[in-house]
Amino acid sequence: MVYVEFSTISKHFGTSVAVADLDLQIEQGEFFSLLGPSGCGKSTTLRMLAGFVKPTTGQIRVNGRNVTALPPEARDIGIVFQNYAIFPHMTVFDNIAFGLVERKLPRVEIKQKVDSALAEVGMTGFEDRYERELSGGQKQRVALARVLVIEPEILLLDEPLSALDKKMREEMKYWIKNIQKSVGITTIYVTHDQSEALTMSDRIAVMDQGRVLQIGTPVEIYEQPASRFIAEFIGESNLLDGTALDVHGAVCSIDIDGTTVTGRLTQNNAAIKGQAVTLLVRPEMIRLHSLDASEKPKLNGTVREIIYQGSVVRYRIQIGHQHVMVEVANRPDLARLDLDDDVEVYWNADSGVAMP
Amino acid sequence: MERKIPLPMLILAILGFCYLLFPILVVVLAGLTTGEFLTFPPKGLSLRWVISFLNSEKYLSAFFFSFKLALMTMIVSTILGTAAALFIARSRFVGRTALRAFFLSPVVLPGVVVGFALYAFFITSGLGISRTIWGLWIGHILYSTPYVIGTVGASLATFDVSLEEAARSLGASPMRAFRKITFPNIAQGIQAGSIFAFIVSFGQFEVSLFLSAPNSEPLPIAMYNSLRYKFEPDAAAAGIFAITLVIASVLLTNRLVNIRRLLERQDG
Ligand SMILES: Nc1ncnc2c1ncn2[C@@H]1O[C@H](COP(=O)(O)OP(=O)(O)OP(=O)(O)O)[C@@H](O)[C@H]1O
Ligand SMILES: [Mg+2]
Repeated sequence: MVYVEFSTISKHFGTSVAVADLDLQIEQGEFFSLLGPSGCGKSTTLRMLAGFVKPTTGQIRVNGRNVTALPPEARDIGIVFQNYAIFPHMTVFDNIAFGLVERKLPRVEIKQKVDSALAEVGMTGFEDRYERELSGGQKQRVALARVLVIEPEILLLDEPLSALDKKMREEMKYWIKNIQKSVGITTIYVTHDQSEALTMSDRIAVMDQGRVLQIGTPVEIYEQPASRFIAEFIGESNLLDGTALDVHGAVCSIDIDGTTVTGRLTQNNAAIKGQAVTLLVRPEMIRLHSLDASEKPKLNGTVREIIYQGSVVRYRIQIGHQHVMVEVANRPDLARLDLDDDVEVYWNADSGVAMP
Repeated sequence: MERKIPLPMLILAILGFCYLLFPILVVVLAGLTTGEFLTFPPKGLSLRWVISFLNSEKYLSAFFFSFKLALMTMIVSTILGTAAALFIARSRFVGRTALRAFFLSPVVLPGVVVGFALYAFFITSGLGISRTIWGLWIGHILYSTPYVIGTVGASLATFDVSLEEAARSLGASPMRAFRKITFPNIAQGIQAGSIFAFIVSFGQFEVSLFLSAPNSEPLPIAMYNSLRYKFEPDAAAAGIFAITLVIASVLLTNRLVNIRRLLERQDG
């Protein structure tokens, strides 16, 4: 069931366009991420849904209701800001109680709800602290508790992890996802960090310059990127230039420096035949050790650089005048290569994605 | 002492401090003289002129008039200045910086210009408020409000708007979000601005010179008028009371701010 719907939403600030013709449909209970580089309009999109920014054109519907003209306080949407926005002149208790006090709940009930919210985020005992007495991770927990306690229809998170250090970020990533799952709340998560989006989301919308480029599950976004931009933005990519020889449905054969390889087409595009194409292969999809001597495609290359990273070893391989990065698990059954070794490069026919 | 101040800096700081304190010292000592005339150093020390000030109808009424005027000016300036600062900080239009400069202009214009301009305006416009307490009040408000705009503007600059947005999406109306979130966080700036407005109004001379009514003179004008004819130390004694009042108001507000903080920490 579609729960949140953006129809041809756009936002202009003076002459600059922050969001252009956005159409999004988000399911109930879904963890949906807006992913894109800085300035692409993610926060603006989120702030339009929260009611802080009025769209220039278009309509936003939540649960069938048109909310486009409603002020924030009439929307029943909880938002966690990048800097958490804990009220500095109030205790943790009063921060979490704020929304309940605004709803004029009886004191006893407020106390009860705040207590259970504190327990839920693991902050029992911190009631009397002030913002300045909390660590980044603790502020985050308070900010989330403050929002969840009012049981909003939708939870919005704007880069909630970017102010934390790396270790904390990893920890909170799973923690937020787990809370979201157990509460079952429809969540929209804004981030420019592809690993956060891939780990946490049910679906991701990749944005650039105010437009949505692709919407899909993490697997679809990672394995079938719709464009070169997305491929390069998400994960690490090897991009090989070649010429399209032949197209059979969604499969395309490509000539790379005289060797024929195959790639999947993201759109069924027969017109590509005879034109220059880019083949995307992820570093971890490439093998330097054949399982089977007859395996194809097979390109000849030379090891130019070796980067040892403990659990994996990365090789930069020169193929003709192009280079690919290859990531190989550090396992005893896979022989270690040396600089300037000649190698054969393989990948499954499915692992290459051909893009115009 | 953890932090050491370099010696040259320390000497400069002490010199600067003395430079600032010296005029105050001169006034206080001159007001405590036993002699007939204003001199420095004073001829002996006594409370003679302080008592004379307390018995002087002219000075006492001027002192209380100035006090009331400063209080009324403070109230209006605080409200107007806070509203203006909020407007400048929150609105997003092209002329914002120009508007800010315009609001602050009474501070940079010489007081004589502001006073004279208002006087000319009151006379020619036929409002009937030239040389009345109403005209004087308006002049003082005009002159004091920029200080409130300045201090409130500074505290709004450090105030994070997402706090207000968070309150809104938690269900607070714009008014309630302001009262419960924004106001407590800029209260220090408002308080500082209102002390400024009070002190500026209390010590205002040039604007008052053009606008004050003959029968109700603020203290600086009364002092000036009497010093023009005779150089008597009761003017300096009046100065002592003015200095005391200003210091007391600063200390008092500091105290209030701290008490408010303490109260907040205890409830909830
Ligand atoms: N209030 C505003 N006035 C004018 N321009 C704005 C305003 N808010 C955002 N913009 C512009 O709109 C564009 C999108 O901004 P937005 O904050 O949505 O980006 P973002 O994707 O959240 O970026 P980041 O990852 O850096 O937070 C930017 O070019 C920004 O400069
Ligand atoms: Mg942003």
